[in-house]
Amino acid sequence: MAPLTCTKLSVITITGIVTQIFGLSLFVFGFFPVKPALPGTSGSESFFAPECDFVGNLSDTTLPSDQLKSLYQELSGIPPSFDRLILMVADALPAEFVLGKNEKPPHKQFKEAMPYTQSLLASGSAIGYHSRAAPPTVTMPRLKAMVSGAIGGFLDVAFNFNTQAMMDDNLLGQFFRIGWKMVMLGDETWLKLFPRLFKRHDAVSSFYVKDTVQVDQNVSRHLADELSKDDWNLLYFQILHYLGLDHVGHIGGRSSALMAPKLKEMDEVVKLIHSSINQSQGNRQGRTLLMIVSDHGMTEHGNHGGSTYEETDSLALFIGLRNHVFDYASVINQIDIAPTLALLFGVPIPKNNVGVLIREAFDSLKEDQHLRALELNAWQLLRLLHAQLSGLPCRNFPCDAFYDHQSSDSSECNHMTENMLCCLYMEAAALYTSWKSKRSFESTSNKDYSSTTAAYYKFLKSASEWLSRRTTDKPVNLLALGLTTLFISSVILSSLMFCRLREIYHRGNQQASNLKYSMNGWSFDETFIVSVVLILVTCMTSSSMVEEEHYTWYFLISTFYLLLLRETAQSLSSVGLQSFFPMQKGQSGEGFFRICCSFLLLISGRISRGWHQGGVNWTSLPDISKWLEQAGSPYVKPLQLMSAVLVISIGLFALFSIESRGKCLQMVRLSFLISGLLVLLHIARYQDYALSSTNYGGTFLVQIIYAILGAVTTGTIVALPWLIPLSTSKIFPADNTFSPPFSPSIQEKFPLVELRDTLYVVGWAYILCWCLLQLLLQQPINTTPILLLLLQIVAGVHYFARSGTHLKEWVEIAGFHCLGMAGHFALGNSNTLATIDVAGAFIGISNHSTFLSGILMFIITYASPMFILLSLVMYISTKSVVHLVIPEKANAGDILMMLLGFPCLVPLVLNSILLTAYTVVLLLMQNHLFVWSVFSPKYLYVCATTKPTEKEAAAHSCRSKR
Amino acid sequence: MKEELEKITPSKISSFQVFLIHVCCGLALAVGFWVAHNVYSINLIFDPTGTLRLIWAIEFPVVILLFSCFRQKPEKCSYLKAIARGLLGLPVGALINALGALALGAPAGLQYFERTVSWSLLMSSLTFVPTACVYGSCWTDWHRIFACTKPKGSLDFMLCLPAHGAVIGAWFGAWPMPLDWERPWQDWPICVSYGAMAGYVAGMVGSLGLALMHTGGKQLKAE
Repeated sequence: MAPLTCTKLSVITITGIVTQIFGLSLFVFGFFPVKPALPGTSGSESFFAPECDFVGNLSDTTLPSDQLKSLYQELSGIPPSFDRLILMVADALPAEFVLGKNEKPPHKQFKEAMPYTQSLLASGSAIGYHSRAAPPTVTMPRLKAMVSGAIGGFLDVAFNFNTQAMMDDNLLGQFFRIGWKMVMLGDETWLKLFPRLFKRHDAVSSFYVKDTVQVDQNVSRHLADELSKDDWNLLYFQILHYLGLDHVGHIGGRSSALMAPKLKEMDEVVKLIHSSINQSQGNRQGRTLLMIVSDHGMTEHGNHGGSTYEETDSLALFIGLRNHVFDYASVINQIDIAPTLALLFGVPIPKNNVGVLIREAFDSLKEDQHLRALELNAWQLLRLLHAQLSGLPCRNFPCDAFYDHQSSDSSECNHMTENMLCCLYMEAAALYTSWKSKRSFESTSNKDYSSTTAAYYKFLKSASEWLSRRTTDKPVNLLALGLTTLFISSVILSSLMFCRLREIYHRGNQQASNLKYSMNGWSFDETFIVSVVLILVTCMTSSSMVEEEHYTWYFLISTFYLLLLRETAQSLSSVGLQSFFPMQKGQSGEGFFRICCSFLLLISGRISRGWHQGGVNWTSLPDISKWLEQAGSPYVKPLQLMSAVLVISIGLFALFSIESRGKCLQMVRLSFLISGLLVLLHIARYQDYALSSTNYGGTFLVQIIYAILGAVTTGTIVALPWLIPLSTSKIFPADNTFSPPFSPSIQEKFPLVELRDTLYVVGWAYILCWCLLQLLLQQPINTTPILLLLLQIVAGVHYFARSGTHLKEWVEIAGFHCLGMAGHFALGNSNTLATIDVAGAFIGISNHSTFLSGILMFIITYASPMFILLSLVMYISTKSVVHLVIPEKANAGDILMMLLGFPCLVPLVLNSILLTAYTVVLLLMQNHLFVWSVFSPKYLYVCATTKPTEKEAAAHSCRSKR
Repeated sequence: MKEELEKITPSKISSFQVFLIHVCCGLALAVGFWVAHNVYSINLIFDPTGTLRLIWAIEFPVVILLFSCFRQKPEKCSYLKAIARGLLGLPVGALINALGALALGAPAGLQYFERTVSWSLLMSSLTFVPTACVYGSCWTDWHRIFACTKPKGSLDFMLCLPAHGAVIGAWFGAWPMPLDWERPWQDWPICVSYGAMAGYVAGMVGSLGLALMHTGGKQLKAE
């Protein structure tokens, strides 16, 4: 095979990167579909037919609540059937326990546990439904679906990561607007969703899953009190959310011994409420609807979150509607609850509702009222359809006005979905119009009515199905294409790396005589790195391993350090015991130095591991940062200042250790010194008030620092290669005592030495600039981890510079990559979106700018991986090239390839393998419970990591072009 | 010349002796567990400190007494001296094991101190003490066995494989610790100890197998 040339290598690499970006964007586009949602809330305009020049809210929301209520009532034409609503949520109660499955009655044990409810069902005063919940079957999204009728997408979560409150149009908001009093007893999720709506509330936390008794007693203790309260005159909404059943399920599964008593308890509650309703029905006017719902079901083992029948089969039970006796319960969608309740209680249907009215709930209404309710639902869905389908022709909107009986018949309703929906709607609307006109002549027949309702339901059902499919369906082709592209790119990159490895291996073989350790076979470290990749890929398939990913990285990086220590011990006595004698002082000193380096690595790695207790499950355990925060600022501040001083002095020491008198270099040193002092000044004086926007001095100072750092770094990078007069012979950086012995032939290669000096200075400029930025932006508590990270990098680089041929270059770079990830978690990041430091993103920005604060947020979050990538430049310069430059007449391209090939390729390959593996995992797990809470945020992180990796690689190859 | 000498000097050890030693060590572990369960009715999960200490108390004497019989250069070094070397090796090995565990992320809090100490004592008697008894403080031997992992002969295998097995087993045993299974055995150092002991037993089996193969090969050559 022809050897790779520099150009060829960079061209193939760039192709790989471009393919990867392309595939990633395809996949992300397919996996996280952006669902167009209608903003705002429904007002009185929802009682009019949708029109072309559709305008937003009318100003009726400003009306006082009682006026608004009468306005709604007048416009809708449907008198509210009920005045009071009691919503009892039994968390995770499968409908099967109450209604049975497949038209069979429920299990005997469950039936006996709920005698009262069963008697209500048998007498027909309760109507029960299997209500299908959409995955993810966890409480908060289900509650949202129930009150808004919408099916949320993932991006809803991603975009609202710092606010949990529900902003979309929902039933509770509508009730609040017309002046209802609302009371909530039970799960605190409701309070998080609707922070200010409840007049009284008593929230219990679902944190203690082991507790099955107290959690429900805390709800029931207020019940008798609340039911007899006088202030629930007419408008009243009570939510009871019982968590006990969910806890029973989590402990013992469906067949737990605690299940029957818990159901009995629920039955008692139903009995209590129902008898109290019956009493009040006698002496007061208000009519009460009692709804018993569950948010989701549970599997045989009591878990939930997925999309199996057991988990999605939840209960919806109406008590208080007109009596119906069914032989078996029918199936509705959970989202159908929202429009049904809205119209039963005379409020507009929430804007993004996808549900359809439940037929039996409106049986007690008159024919025209029922049809009107259907029409309102149809209008609402039509508006939503229009928002999602910009292709839906506008002229179809006032369909009923232009409708012509002859122009279309039902045979036309078989074309494309969009046209079919419109056609179905027009048909229903036409039937309704004709029914209305007939009724004015008093000639309506029962048949007309039923055909109209049937037509409406047909439209509503298909529209609802289409809309919900659109929010949950993923374009398979797009995903498959994206995945294939990602796979191809990772194959390209890894085969490229493999080629390079083989080339170097062959060359190593050719001159094995020169090398102490010939490169035959796999060494232990290489096996380790390969198994690291395998372990990481395996860990990604487990949700708790993704949650606790930092443990994996810490464990792997400290194992790597221990291996380095072992390597040192190995080499120590390759010289044997003599190395302890003074005659071979040089080598023993070197061994000693390497041992010191590995101990420094181990110690600083361990401390930074203990700094933040990240992850999800063990965050409450003590760690250093919590301890420091408790101790207060008298301890934090000095520590921070000390670390900052150390970081700056390490950087400056490295810059000053170069023996050169060039003016240019002096300038660089001076300006870094100045900016370092300015950063210290900022830390000492301003950081406590950095967040108050009135602090002009602080902001100005920060801006000055930004400017200096930007100017110096760009200047160094751009100008240094041309300006620096470094090419005198003894300029190799770093302290000469430690520098590896050069063979004279290398020393004579001036251009190479010059290049390495330049790289060294540029690398340190990168590192210093990045460190100073981090000192400025990170939270005060994170200053020490930055110092530790810098120490690890410096120690690692020095160790590797002295390791000669013991370790292979790609192993070292992979080790650095691991260090970067471990540092990422040591700075307090995790795989949830909640740990992103939003506050730091506004330091030094005088007016609000999403773009700038986005950049700052990125700098803060990806501090550590970027740090590693930047320091690789410095690493290249210190790496001994003795064993790399073999041909006597190596041209510039070859040398560059030697220097830069692996530092560019290894991070790219690692990242692309992990990215591809993770994409596969995400695809396989798309119905898993944690896809929303764990896997998807992790995926966003992985995607974001991809970006800097690629950028860095691009920067490297740019340099190599020079 | 020197290499030849080294080839000759390792004291001969037959595969039967290897078998005997490994069975004794394995039995000591088993007896430790049995005593903990049946006599003191404690186990690793509910009382890790006590159980580890008990197992160590039974394992350590067995190890030190057995391996001291195979001390290197028996003419220069008495049995008692070998035992003293083992006793000295115990705290050193415990310290190294404890530091390694801490570096890999064992909890450093004071409430874990006792557990860490008893765990590292047990680990030390599984890994360090045998070699200390046999080779004393000879750096080349230690370097050959632990740094380079290039054991020569059955004796080296007998020292090297179980020790490496215990360390690697402990390393793998740590993996379930961060998971959210909420099992009591996920606590430090329970699953790590289980892993270490499993690795130790696996290492003994491997060493035994190698010893058998070795002698088998020799016999074949001889024939």
